[in-house]
Amino acid sequence: MPRLSNWRPTKTNDYKFLDKTISEMFTTGGLDIYVHKYLGPKTVGDSAAREGHEGQDATQPTYDKSDPLYIEDLLLLENRDREYDDSIYVMRGVYAVTDVDFDLSQFGLFLNGDTLFISFHYNDMIDTFGRKLMNGDVVEVPNLKDYHPLDPSGPKALPKYYVIQDASFASEGFSQTWHPHVWRVKVTPMPAAQEYNDILNKPMDPDNPEAGTVEDWMSTKKKNLEINDAIVTQAEAEVPLSGYDNTSFYVTATVNGEPANPDDVQAGNLGTIDGTSPKVDGYLVGYLTGNQVPPNGLPVKPGVSFPPNPGVGDYALRLDFFPNRLFRYDGKRWVKVEDGVRTDLTPGPQTKTQRSNFVNNTATVETSDRGNIPSRQSLSDILRPTKDN
Amino acid sequence: MPGDLQQFFYDDQIRRFLLQFTRMFSNFQVEYGREEDGSAALVRIPVRYGDASRHASTIIAENSKNKLPNVPMMTFHITDLKYARDRVQEPYFIDRKTFKQRTWDEESQSYEKTQGNAFSVERHMPVPYNLSLALDIWTSNTQQKLQILEQLLSLFNPSLEIQSTDNYIDWTSLSVVELADVNWSSRSIPVGIDDDIDIATLRFEIPIWISPPAKVKKLGVVQKVIASVFDSNGDANDALLNNDLLLGTRQKITPYGYQALLVGNQLQLLRQNQVDTTEGTLEPTFAQDDNVLWTALIDNYGALRDGISQIRLESEHVDTEIVGTIALHPTDDRLILFSIDEDTIPQNTLAPLTAVIDPLASGPGAGLIPAVSGQRYLLTESIGDDENVTPPDAWGGLVASVNDIIQYNGTEWEVVFDASNRTPDESTNIVDFVTNITTEVQFKWTGAMWVKSYQGLYRGGEWSLVL
Repeated sequence: MPRLSNWRPTKTNDYKFLDKTISEMFTTGGLDIYVHKYLGPKTVGDSAAREGHEGQDATQPTYDKSDPLYIEDLLLLENRDREYDDSIYVMRGVYAVTDVDFDLSQFGLFLNGDTLFISFHYNDMIDTFGRKLMNGDVVEVPNLKDYHPLDPSGPKALPKYYVIQDASFASEGFSQTWHPHVWRVKVTPMPAAQEYNDILNKPMDPDNPEAGTVEDWMSTKKKNLEINDAIVTQAEAEVPLSGYDNTSFYVTATVNGEPANPDDVQAGNLGTIDGTSPKVDGYLVGYLTGNQVPPNGLPVKPGVSFPPNPGVGDYALRLDFFPNRLFRYDGKRWVKVEDGVRTDLTPGPQTKTQRSNFVNNTATVETSDRGNIPSRQSLSDILRPTKDN
Repeated sequence: MPGDLQQFFYDDQIRRFLLQFTRMFSNFQVEYGREEDGSAALVRIPVRYGDASRHASTIIAENSKNKLPNVPMMTFHITDLKYARDRVQEPYFIDRKTFKQRTWDEESQSYEKTQGNAFSVERHMPVPYNLSLALDIWTSNTQQKLQILEQLLSLFNPSLEIQSTDNYIDWTSLSVVELADVNWSSRSIPVGIDDDIDIATLRFEIPIWISPPAKVKKLGVVQKVIASVFDSNGDANDALLNNDLLLGTRQKITPYGYQALLVGNQLQLLRQNQVDTTEGTLEPTFAQDDNVLWTALIDNYGALRDGISQIRLESEHVDTEIVGTIALHPTDDRLILFSIDEDTIPQNTLAPLTAVIDPLASGPGAGLIPAVSGQRYLLTESIGDDENVTPPDAWGGLVASVNDIIQYNGTEWEVVFDASNRTPDESTNIVDFVTNITTEVQFKWTGAMWVKSYQGLYRGGEWSLVL
């Protein structure tokens, strides 16, 4: 008679009996868990083909298929652009429901306490999913679906997404045969991040894809951008341009150092009476006060050349100067009044600062052998030939 | 309640810097891999204040724990606000500036090309503080963090200017945002049991100024610049405020050095080099040949209001300011009509004069009208003396000295004001004033001579304009 032992190196009928029973327990007592299966890095790759980086980056290989074995960035060791299966896998799982406080210790972006441990029947998981659940897979827990969100214009319920952080055999899932039957995953709330863009870009309602994506309705990004925009709008209202606005102030026109007859100034008879337009901004000159507007809001002729037959005291704004330059005709020559040095301060192409000219530069340079090449180039790749495709 | 409450004031001074700080980091993007066509998929990074209230955070999350927090994201918060002892300056300093505005057109809601109001602005010395901010950069992967930092870190070498307002008068608006420190990661290295969202923190210092409200006054007085700054004790503040401490070194300067010439009830504006040819005489002043226009000067400071605007004159011969309202002359811009407040000019202590005469050149019935009882003349020359037994027939036996006032009593001329025996009473501060009814010029007896009391030339600093 063989020696009594629950352990068998092979999976015997005992194992199968127990496994079937445990599976039944999950089917009976568990709930459906929806799983978004991670397939691997996106085949479109990342920044290996970034403008100016035409050569292949060995640390950021471009794969021709998605495979969970691949790593997108071999230097930083991270998969940023992940592809998820369009199919959603449904498996029975069990977890302990816990109370979660709305933790704002990190500005509301984290839900520190919201960590779940979900158990799955191992063999059912393999049968359904094709592999073990792993870090990066995303699960939806349907019983945590949140009905009645604050915004009634959106979906009736907000699903609860978690991302798997860790996965291993559950200690409670080992049977008397010492073989494991249960796979336990640790999940934390999924952020609306680049890694999950494939899921976030799916329509919230597959039957009505025009209604918006998962990100549109689930992410706080839209609200945060609205908040950001409101702040920038107010900031631009308070400081429309850099420097100082002195256009509301009055500068006295002078003749030989004495105030000119204001009647001549008010007559709008510019160009005929010397001294009826101020020669400079006078007491208003200061740091970043050049706004290319003549003193007292007097008329100015903008153009790329000086106007013909000017009168004494006429202003001309040369648009072909950078920054634009305001001149005043004194009867003999056009004298510089000021440069328009004030500029928008919101980062973007409308900002005409020195640095912005380097960053927000869409100009091209014509070459004899390489066509038009971009004027803006990274220092590391500057003037290197690039591929045509 | 123990008394009236202090007036409330609040000018969003720190809040406005926070607004601009948010703007500084707005509109940056990161690359979210590639689009199907191979172009870079760029995503804008939101920036907002980090220390949000639970209430606002709940609303952002739509009162649901299922909302997905987005990354990348930038949040910032104030970490410190300290008094900057190293930037302290004279705490009691008040800066005074004058500003002329263009006329505001309510209808078009725009400024016109003409001179509008003029103001004097007093700015109290603001208090220096150092504002410390932390900018948290939330990223879900290292590449993302590198992309953001590369864009941000090239901004600060070592600092970037920031403005809380573009108001030309706000001397506290300009500051700099200086990158003080970079904290690379909030994670423990190597990665632990969770892939937490990573936070890189940039710490910034902004030297700012907190200021009380400014004081705006309507500019009307031609400013008198005080050239003397320190008194003998080296006390600048007292020297500025107290005339008696100036040791006679105060200089009054009127813009362009213009002078005002009072001719009857009109004032003429004169250049600095012009002189009153009648100065030092008892002759009435007359308009000089100078073409400076009052309108040109007044428009420097604001609009003249006929009958309300004033000119104030300070004469060495009159203890108090002579005040009168002004109005533009209807036909001559060189002149301005000056309606003197009679209470501000000296009262006559003597009966009015018929005229000022040289008794040796003319006499009653001989160049002057025949003598009538009550006629009074001020003499510019002496006539007769005790040894002169044959005085001119016209004056009878009159013996009088220069500066004497004589009066005809119906039968003979007699001296009614003996200049040689008349000195101002210092104990009562009474001096003699008399008006010549022929020229309407009032004279003052100084004890040695007659002078015009307030008619004549007022040099720069001796007159002021109140609009």
